[in-house]
Amino acid sequence: MGTFIQLVVDGLSTGSIYAALALAIVLVNQSTGLINFAQGAMAVFSAYIAYVFVGWGVPTILAILISLIISFVIGAVVERLLIRRFEGGDPDTAVVVTIGLLTLFTGICGWLWGYNNRQFPSLFPLDTINVFGAVISVRSLGTIAVLVAIMLLLQLLFIGTKLGLALRAVSFNPTSAALSGLPVGRLLMVGWGLAAALGAVAGALVAPQLTLTPTMMDTALVYALAAVIIGGLNSPIGAVVAAWGIGVLENLGAVYVPFIGHDLKIAVPFIILFVVLLLRPQGLFGRKVVVRV
Amino acid sequence: MNMRKNLKGAVGLVAMASAVALILSGCARGGDSGNEGDNGETTASPGITDTTLTFGITTPLTGATAGPGNCTADGAIAYFGVKNAEGGITFGDGKTRTIEIKTYDDQYDPQKALANFQQMVAEGVFAGGIGLGTPTNRAWREAAIDEGFPQVLAQTGDPLFSNREESPWQLGFVATYPQEGRAFGEALVASGEPHKVAILSQNDDYGEGYVEGFKEAIADNPDIEIVGELTYEATDTSVDAQLTELAGTGADVFFNAMSITPLVIAALQKSQQLGWLPSWFLPSNTSSPVAILEPGGGSAFPGIYTVAFSEAAASPAFQESEEGKVFMEALAEYTNQDGIPGFPHCVWSWIAAATLEQAFQNMTEPTRESFMEALLNISDFDAPFMLPGAAIDTTQDGIPAVSEVVVQKYNGKGYESIEAVG
Amino acid sequence: MSQVSDLLRRPWVRWLILLVVAVVLAVLPLMLPVFVNQTLTRIGVYAVAVLGLNIIMGYTGQIMLGQIFFLGVGAYVTAYGVVNDWNIVVIFIAACVIPALLGLIIAFAAARLGGLAIAMVTIALPIIGVPLAKRLSDLTGGSQGTSARFSSAPDWTGLYDDQWQYYVVIVIAAVAFALAYNLVRGKYGRAMRIVKENEAVARSMGISPYRYKVMAFTIAALFGGASGFLYMVAVQYTSPETMAFHHSISLLAAMVVGGAASIAGSLIGGIYYVLVPQVTNAIDPTITAISQGVILVAVLFLLPGGLVSLPRVIRRIFRRRSGGTDQTPSPQPTPPATQAEGSETERQA
Repeated sequence: MGTFIQLVVDGLSTGSIYAALALAIVLVNQSTGLINFAQGAMAVFSAYIAYVFVGWGVPTILAILISLIISFVIGAVVERLLIRRFEGGDPDTAVVVTIGLLTLFTGICGWLWGYNNRQFPSLFPLDTINVFGAVISVRSLGTIAVLVAIMLLLQLLFIGTKLGLALRAVSFNPTSAALSGLPVGRLLMVGWGLAAALGAVAGALVAPQLTLTPTMMDTALVYALAAVIIGGLNSPIGAVVAAWGIGVLENLGAVYVPFIGHDLKIAVPFIILFVVLLLRPQGLFGRKVVVRV
Repeated sequence: MNMRKNLKGAVGLVAMASAVALILSGCARGGDSGNEGDNGETTASPGITDTTLTFGITTPLTGATAGPGNCTADGAIAYFGVKNAEGGITFGDGKTRTIEIKTYDDQYDPQKALANFQQMVAEGVFAGGIGLGTPTNRAWREAAIDEGFPQVLAQTGDPLFSNREESPWQLGFVATYPQEGRAFGEALVASGEPHKVAILSQNDDYGEGYVEGFKEAIADNPDIEIVGELTYEATDTSVDAQLTELAGTGADVFFNAMSITPLVIAALQKSQQLGWLPSWFLPSNTSSPVAILEPGGGSAFPGIYTVAFSEAAASPAFQESEEGKVFMEALAEYTNQDGIPGFPHCVWSWIAAATLEQAFQNMTEPTRESFMEALLNISDFDAPFMLPGAAIDTTQDGIPAVSEVVVQKYNGKGYESIEAVG
Repeated sequence: MSQVSDLLRRPWVRWLILLVVAVVLAVLPLMLPVFVNQTLTRIGVYAVAVLGLNIIMGYTGQIMLGQIFFLGVGAYVTAYGVVNDWNIVVIFIAACVIPALLGLIIAFAAARLGGLAIAMVTIALPIIGVPLAKRLSDLTGGSQGTSARFSSAPDWTGLYDDQWQYYVVIVIAAVAFALAYNLVRGKYGRAMRIVKENEAVARSMGISPYRYKVMAFTIAALFGGASGFLYMVAVQYTSPETMAFHHSISLLAAMVVGGAASIAGSLIGGIYYVLVPQVTNAIDPTITAISQGVILVAVLFLLPGGLVSLPRVIRRIFRRRSGGTDQTPSPQPTPPATQAEGSETERQA
């Protein structure tokens, strides 16, 4: 039983890494209707910026806040100068532009800071706590706590605030939104800026464990995409729950189903995804989208 | 009227196409090397003149493995930067030549590595090697054999490259993975005590090689028992689940064939969190005291062992030595490396370049055959940065350039060579 | 409309162009340097892969991020067949059919589930495929990969290896492109386009979206498998890295940069996929990521419709410049597919 709980706890901790990125992807999708493949790479870039400030003697939390603000600006600028051109057109083209951004951001990180693994200071101490006989590190707990807070904030933003409503309106139907007097352009920039800022937090949370390298978020990105799709493209809670689910089920599958083992455990979330989509095509928490002819 | 216009247009098209064909035929298909076998007689091989020699390195310079990848190129670039600045290297045929290193990024994609090799041939490069990765090197191994193109000092522990019969134009540089695993296994046997061993290996030829060598060494010893054996993927973000499982086995020795830095650090931390304190084995490329053991808290364990053949750039002894200072200055001047490199491959590449220099100094003719002959006859070479007990010897079939390795134990600050575990 | 466009509408002119192109392609490798032939061969390999991707994604509008998996399966089947001394024709057929069957099965299940399900299932393919390839090491050679030397020029041809490989790849690629061209120009192509535009409309017209998605997916998988065979002809080595997920992303990028829903665009996509890494290597090997990112973003910024839309864009610019009278310098005779595309109704945005 002890192993089981430990695996669940480990899975939640790993899943939190994916969840952090998944939230940013949900945000971009909710506000601009696009899937941003470069989300992870932008988060890494933000983490490097924070790293630079820490290197200049700034306390960690302050450095992360500064990088948050810078990332917001970068996200907004990228949307305005680059993505704007592709928003009305073929969604595939827009996605491929974000793929180009992914390559670009990763390359810039590598060029500016090299490929050595850098130690990013952790916001939380490295102690552990005992939970039901299983050991969990304070860092993992802290990450989960921050994650839950952000998730609730996002959910609140979209459902409870005017800004959230405006963002959703703009992505759902830009023409109507413009006709209703919403500043469409500015809202799009805000959407991307917020997502980039969120990515900065995600990067800062996971960098201590993954060590800071330009390709740090590459694997997490794929899992985050899976979590977003399982949980529903427009639900922050769904994305986080799905990410946790992926982490936990992977571990359990690997250990308790010998046939799967640790090399094929990656198949577990996808099989589950398939089953979920069979039963609920819009994802666990998503809303059905009606297309009128 | 229409007909005439059409005919004119059609004739025009045909004329244009013929012109294109004629122009292209001017692109003579010359320099068809290899298939004709016109090199190796008395004429020089491509890529070598009286004053220069070109050496090609295809290795991942961007992407997930760019950390070690850049180091594999930079060490050689730095070494030859220094030698070229001193005037060049005097070859066995009496001429002094500068060495030009051409690097190609293959992003750890075998198809691109092959394309890079084809480009090397087209650009008239003399020889290639020092590149990182098993699949990438394997992708052009047979093409290199067909072409008679040396693929030497490859940075992969794949034993195939050191098999003289199968790979007549190749030579591995670093100790093969089975070699390292075997060395630790022998040290474990030499302890004379019973041990229970848990194994965590990377799920590819790297991990498999280590485990194979280790198992070979302990095969006949009934006192050493393997109680758990798991794998992980190089792309995994965490190995917590594997650690949890293995901690439950109660093993007192933990054999790790892991090449991913953050995963090793996380594993060290997780192990302590779980209260499992065995002796650890780490492979030569992920055992750095500064980059891995300190963040991971290595002193908490009764012993951390590794296999090594070269000094670590981060160790104070290295930094204060003459040669070490030359190394650091050369890196700073000729490459993009920033400070102490985070991967041992920079030092390894430097040693490989020094080995190449030996071959150059001994080759009597400006041909690839002569180069290979010289390269495969190096022994008694006091290579820079080699640990006492380790050696470079290219004369033995089946053994790469690094022929001997030593087992070392962590002493809280650095490593010391030992004979047996315990 | 300019004289030349009028001219090119005539079928016999198109056949003449085709003939000239075929002759040029056939004669080219005998004169070009070895490396150019090898590059052209690799372009052929990936052009077929992008073509398959275009059929399911460009034309039928389904997100497909697993094309590299089918290429990998085709390559592994080829390697296995070579190592076990099968007849070369059998190998080729197996390399096409086995991935197609897999695609069919997967499509049967996934096509009912909507776009997202297809997207995720196709992401899962290469991600699960890589560790699976490592595990089935008896069949695949495991993580060290398999070498399969079989595309050296046979003695009776008197050709060099690079020329022989070029011919094999070009012939198969030409057949693939011809088949695809016929497919998308016919009723199936029209049906696929309607399915992409709006499934409800398709259904109301009696076109079953499910059936066409399955068909398109299977064809994409078949082309993927064929490109895997061609990959083995060109590279003669495969390993689990061949089907890594990030290659799928690169294929997608190549498809869009070349031109989605366009046969000529698929060829351009193949050229892009092969040439850009080589070009960025020549610029500076240490910053290939930055160069590739810049090129990709720049191309799409200037030509959101992909490179295949360049003639159209140029024509539009000139028409605007000359204020109505058509003085367009018509583009050089390109493969007939481009001209055919231009005369079709505008590709869906």
